Amino acid sequence: MIPRLVRSLPPWIAALALVSALAPSPAAAQFGEGEVVQAPPDRPIPPPFYAIRNATVVTGTGTTIEGGTVVIENGLITAVSPNAAVPPEAWVLDGEGLTVYPGLFHALGQLALKEPEEEGDGEGGGLAQLFGGGETAEGPEDRPETYPWRAAADMLAGEADQVEKWREGGFTNAMTVPADGIVAGQGAVVALAGEPGEMVVATPAALKLGLETSGFFSYPGSLFGVMSYLEQLFLDAERYGRAVAAYEASPGGRERPRYDRTLEPVRRAVVERWATLIPGDEPREIRRAIELGDELGVRTVVVGGHGAWRMPAEIAASGAAVLVNLEWPEGPKDPDPEREVPLRELQARVNTPSTPARLESAGVVWAFYPGGVATAKQALEKARDAVDAGLDEEAALRGLTLYPARIYGVDDRTGSIEPGKIANLLVTEGGLFDEKAKVRMVFVDGRKFEIPEVEKPEEPPAADMSGSWDLAIESPQGVREVDAELEMEEDGTLSGTLTSEQGEQTIEEGWVSGESFRWTTTITMGPSTVEATFSGTFEGDEMEGTVSIGGRFSVDFTGERTSGPGGGAR
Amino acid sequence: MNAHRVALPAIATLLLAAAPLFAQHDPRVEPADVYAITGATIHTLAGPAIEGGTLVLRDGEIEAVGSGVEVPADARVIDAEGLHVYPGLVDAYSRLGLTEIGAVEASQDLGEITQWNPHLTSATAIHPASAHLDVARANGITHALVAPGEGGGLFSFAQGGEGGIPGRAAFVHLDGWTVEEMEIDDSVAMVIQWPTIRTETFDFSTFDFEERPYTEAKEEFDENVRALEEWFEAAAHYRQAVDRGDPARFERNLKLEHLARTLGGGLPVIAVANEKRSIESALEFAERHDLDLVIAGGDDAREVKEELARREVPVILGPTQSLPDEEDDPYHSPMSLAGELHEAGVTIAFGTFTSADSRTVPYEAATAVPFGLPREAALRAITVNPAAILGVGDRLGTIEAGKIGNVIVTGGDPLEIRTPVEWVFIDGMPVDRSNRHRALYREYRARP
Amino acid sequence: MRLREVTSALTLVLAALLAAEPAPAQRAGMEDPWAPVDRDAPVQPVLIENGTLITMAGERIEGGSILLIDGSIAAIGTDLDAPGDARVIDATGRFVTPGLVDAHSHIAADAINEGSVNVSSMVGIEQVIDPTDINIYREAAGGVTTSHVMHGSANPIGGKNAIIKHRWGEDAEGLVFRAAPPTIKFALGENPRRVNFSFPGMPRRYPGTRMGVIDVIRQAFRDAVEYRAEWDAWRAGGRRGVPPARDLALEPLVEVLEGERFVHAHSYRADEILQLMRLAEETGFRIAVFQHVLEGYKVADEIREHGAMASTFSDWWAYKLEAYDAIPHNAALMTDRGVVVSINSDSPEEARHLGQEAAKTMKWGGMTEEQALAMVTINPAVQLRVEDRVGSLEEGKDADVVIWEGEPLSSTSRVTTTIVDGRIVFDLEMDERRQEAIAAEKERLEKALEEDGDGEDDEESEEPETEEPEPRKGGQR
Repeated sequence: MIPRLVRSLPPWIAALALVSALAPSPAAAQFGEGEVVQAPPDRPIPPPFYAIRNATVVTGTGTTIEGGTVVIENGLITAVSPNAAVPPEAWVLDGEGLTVYPGLFHALGQLALKEPEEEGDGEGGGLAQLFGGGETAEGPEDRPETYPWRAAADMLAGEADQVEKWREGGFTNAMTVPADGIVAGQGAVVALAGEPGEMVVATPAALKLGLETSGFFSYPGSLFGVMSYLEQLFLDAERYGRAVAAYEASPGGRERPRYDRTLEPVRRAVVERWATLIPGDEPREIRRAIELGDELGVRTVVVGGHGAWRMPAEIAASGAAVLVNLEWPEGPKDPDPEREVPLRELQARVNTPSTPARLESAGVVWAFYPGGVATAKQALEKARDAVDAGLDEEAALRGLTLYPARIYGVDDRTGSIEPGKIANLLVTEGGLFDEKAKVRMVFVDGRKFEIPEVEKPEEPPAADMSGSWDLAIESPQGVREVDAELEMEEDGTLSGTLTSEQGEQTIEEGWVSGESFRWTTTITMGPSTVEATFSGTFEGDEMEGTVSIGGRFSVDFTGERTSGPGGGAR
Repeated sequence: MNAHRVALPAIATLLLAAAPLFAQHDPRVEPADVYAITGATIHTLAGPAIEGGTLVLRDGEIEAVGSGVEVPADARVIDAEGLHVYPGLVDAYSRLGLTEIGAVEASQDLGEITQWNPHLTSATAIHPASAHLDVARANGITHALVAPGEGGGLFSFAQGGEGGIPGRAAFVHLDGWTVEEMEIDDSVAMVIQWPTIRTETFDFSTFDFEERPYTEAKEEFDENVRALEEWFEAAAHYRQAVDRGDPARFERNLKLEHLARTLGGGLPVIAVANEKRSIESALEFAERHDLDLVIAGGDDAREVKEELARREVPVILGPTQSLPDEEDDPYHSPMSLAGELHEAGVTIAFGTFTSADSRTVPYEAATAVPFGLPREAALRAITVNPAAILGVGDRLGTIEAGKIGNVIVTGGDPLEIRTPVEWVFIDGMPVDRSNRHRALYREYRARP
Repeated sequence: MRLREVTSALTLVLAALLAAEPAPAQRAGMEDPWAPVDRDAPVQPVLIENGTLITMAGERIEGGSILLIDGSIAAIGTDLDAPGDARVIDATGRFVTPGLVDAHSHIAADAINEGSVNVSSMVGIEQVIDPTDINIYREAAGGVTTSHVMHGSANPIGGKNAIIKHRWGEDAEGLVFRAAPPTIKFALGENPRRVNFSFPGMPRRYPGTRMGVIDVIRQAFRDAVEYRAEWDAWRAGGRRGVPPARDLALEPLVEVLEGERFVHAHSYRADEILQLMRLAEETGFRIAVFQHVLEGYKVADEIREHGAMASTFSDWWAYKLEAYDAIPHNAALMTDRGVVVSINSDSPEEARHLGQEAAKTMKWGGMTEEQALAMVTINPAVQLRVEDRVGSLEEGKDADVVIWEGEPLSSTSRVTTTIVDGRIVFDLEMDERRQEAIAAEKERLEKALEEDGDGEDDEESEEPETEEPEPRKGGQR
């Protein structure tokens, strides 16, 4: 698992991550220490009753209750009204100045998911495949990259870092499903808290299809190859169903159909109307996804949807649902100043955020999903772009709550604040789509999570840290160079980007206090991420400090400012 | 023409026979020292067309041209009544004789594997027996620039950009038993592949082009131009040392010696540059080093046409029959380019940049005609201009007494595909219009 | 240089792969050049007057007129009256021809080759049509109105092809020429053998020789015959029990055997052309059209006797060993021997001057003007079995019409107007307006993005429109 994980990292982080992963934990290494068993729970477990009083309650079903009370009992919402009776067991929380929303729904990703084990069937792809590094599938009978038996619900890792991060940002549920494969596997709706078993809200709740090829030399090696393969697969599954049914009806004298773990779930997905996720962004891709879905006989959910602003009525007529990727199209960070951006690209950049508004008014079943957006905060910012482009806030909220629940068939149990539904709530200070909104509390399955205040600078910054910095990180493999573009606001808030050989990371939380600074970035690698925290001190055009990788390993770094406000620190 | 040889099975010609297959003299007339073409309309391109004129070619040169010219007694007369005579056509940028079969690596002598090769000339690799020469010739192409350069290959489109000096280009007749007989000039220009800013790189894992940071691409470009700079500075230094010092005190350096010939305009420099920035960079560079610059390719030349005109830098255009670079570009942008440059006062010529397609060079010019290039200018761009651009305008390009006898006799306007090419004179001799294609045609047409 | 060199030098497999690069969103009103065109919208009648009509179905008509109504040719003559709502185009001094038909193209597709397997008949171009490929428009500007969009040549039996009309602006479904019977691609020689296309360490796919190529096709048809028998037996047995498993790769081959799907075989050398014909004869089907067929001139009689037709390049040669005996006289020689011949492009660039390419057969091989023009109009229409709909100007046929400034076979002429199914998809003036619209749209959008980029989000947010949207007029003041 480690090499695969490391492969997608920027080299300097990769080097560090590798070392940190290989280093044995000091505790485990000591003789005599082991796992504690048979002990009572080693954390406080309060009685499962809460009441939030005197809050603004946005139920997500179209009503907003001022001065409302929400009562939570045993993980469920039992009352929502201005004067709801508060049961004596309930811990009462003063909601004065706070707003309660339904918890947000991370509508597609790999949250809480373990890396799937290598399956071996036509795995590899890309260069490896091109040069024969992977296994070569020779036809549909090899079932290339087809893992419909893989159920996300059986692959949960529990509360990984990412789960906590998204939860702190207000997300209480997620659709989690393996990422890769022509048939990637069965998705589960999970709660973003608890042990793997208790996380599962519904399974199987989706079947994820992919149209990516595994390279020219392994079947299928092209877009139409994948499409026709899927058709063949679903035909085979249908026939399998018939054969099994015929056998079960009268086994005597019949040849027994061979059990097939691949075809059985595919057949079920059709019969049981699972949400079937098919990628499609450009209008032609969306049409293709819809037509393919019809061909396969599935309930189609188009994933991506960026070109849907061109064709809302057509999508509405098709009955397909759309998951809209919140990662709106943008130009390159460092564009060629003389490159003329093609008109189509400009149109996409300007119009794509209007997609949800157009789908909403055409009556399409749609929802947001974060796509490549790395944090909860950014996801909300992107959703706000859709609001700016004409989506009303109520619909935007639903796009993050009730709508995804509806797509995955769990709107009868979550997605809005209604008595009887699961107590998945988000409590904020300020409106959800306000830039300054703060998430104060999150309830998942009725469990309360207080969100710690972001660390605040203790004193005003001693100087402006803004500018371009060259950082030299002393990794075990030698010095790694990283460019940092920092921008400091007057109150010491720090933002910016880090660029290394391979990519760019955004600074998420950063501040300057006196001569100290601290910032964190998240490096995403497929389903998991590593957090890197930089901290230290600076003076003039120089800084020094340490980088902590995932809290497990740290190394020193120094930095030099190459340009900045007024040529350097004052 | 030897009928027996024509009837040879195709297999014998398949793998690049070592000797030319076809007799080089047009079999319709006995070899002689003097030829007279009579009764034709002669388009000298040095003045108005001459109706019913006579053209006399002696010992390889044009001896006389005009309406009242007397046919010398010793001349073989070619009656060209109703036909037209034009200067021989030129492919101003070809790879003729350097490659035979695109996909067969063993047949490629297109470019050396090293980056800086001012000491090399294409003349040392031109294969006089290449079937491509005869094929081009049969359509009236009488001479061509043969440029060394990028070596092609399966993934060449994914590489390049760093630039380099592939070597010197030769200017050759498309006829000759040996390359020496073909040579007009074995070294008519220094070819420089100008660096480009590559903001896209090819990703083999996705089989697609991917955007890369501009800053990085620009830095790389600047470095590549700097590398060129170092070569030219070293060449100037070398020349100074040779001129003023004692050559015995340092090693002879053929690369610098040849590169130095370009300084001060002694040898034209052909910069293969298509993007605006590359062209601008070459212009600026040439000014600084006092080079006699020619741009080849010039896809974006319209964006710097005033500058090109002002500095009198000519452009050898790539195929007019190509696609626009960008989706939003006008559909005709490669077709209207020549007309725009011409109108701005830039001297233009056309090159095919290929070997096998060299015969189509007149149609690259013709395709520009409905999009703004005057017919006469199109014709000059494949006759007069290439010679002038490459510094041999005094010997080739028009039909004037004293010039080399490269002329063609056609049924009409050579820009028109349907126009037959009846006679091809190279170096004053009527050459055989037969070639591999005609031989195979004859052979199989006769199949019972 | 540009693509030409790549295309001609490389195996067409690879070039096609590149051409298949997926492009971004949609198109062609005038304010928004990418606004989609409604394929069901009625078209305005068009009367083209006073041109030289080259109908390809009889003599030239000087001072001729042609009336186009509801997507069809309503009348041809010298003195036609226009209906009141007709758009009248004066073609004085101009030439009017049928729309050109390109029998071999790889435009407008997001995938070209399923090259992983030696039989890829399960895939079809129709599933991956890219109606936003600008080459559809560019080729229309060269007079092409119908194209045979083919699977690549990576394998002996390739995929199902699609025949499209250049109805620029319509969606994928709108482009498909439904009247055309289905076709399939086969490929012989170097490309399916992958001789010009291998890397060290790459898996070696069978076949590696021409022997193997023929074997793969033979074996596939044996499987198809068996498959058909299995289904026939099930049907004959009253369709009882579980039906046989469907096989999407074999079904198109059964269609070939039934004469319902037509084989277009990429081929170069005379011997491989002959072998495929013999295999087809032995198996009980026919090759409809040999594509490229650069050595077709060596076996022209055999091709004619087999009942096949030939679609070739005008003068490409020497880009690989099997193209070294290619001669520009090929089309003429095969025509002289009684084969129906077309000149195709196989390239979005070449397709823009098919008239010129056809003219080369006059120079090399002595075709008449009529014969030459037929090679890019009625002959390819015959080859695609759509000659009752396109390829000539006749009453009742599709209104696919091209107006030329200069003779269509001239190298110095150009197209001024192209009409597909009665709709003007290109004309010089419209093209100018299109360019202006692109420039204006870009400027407007760039400004909108710039304003947005200041971080000051526009306060006046827009109401979503309830109808099919126009692009958002964001940031306009």
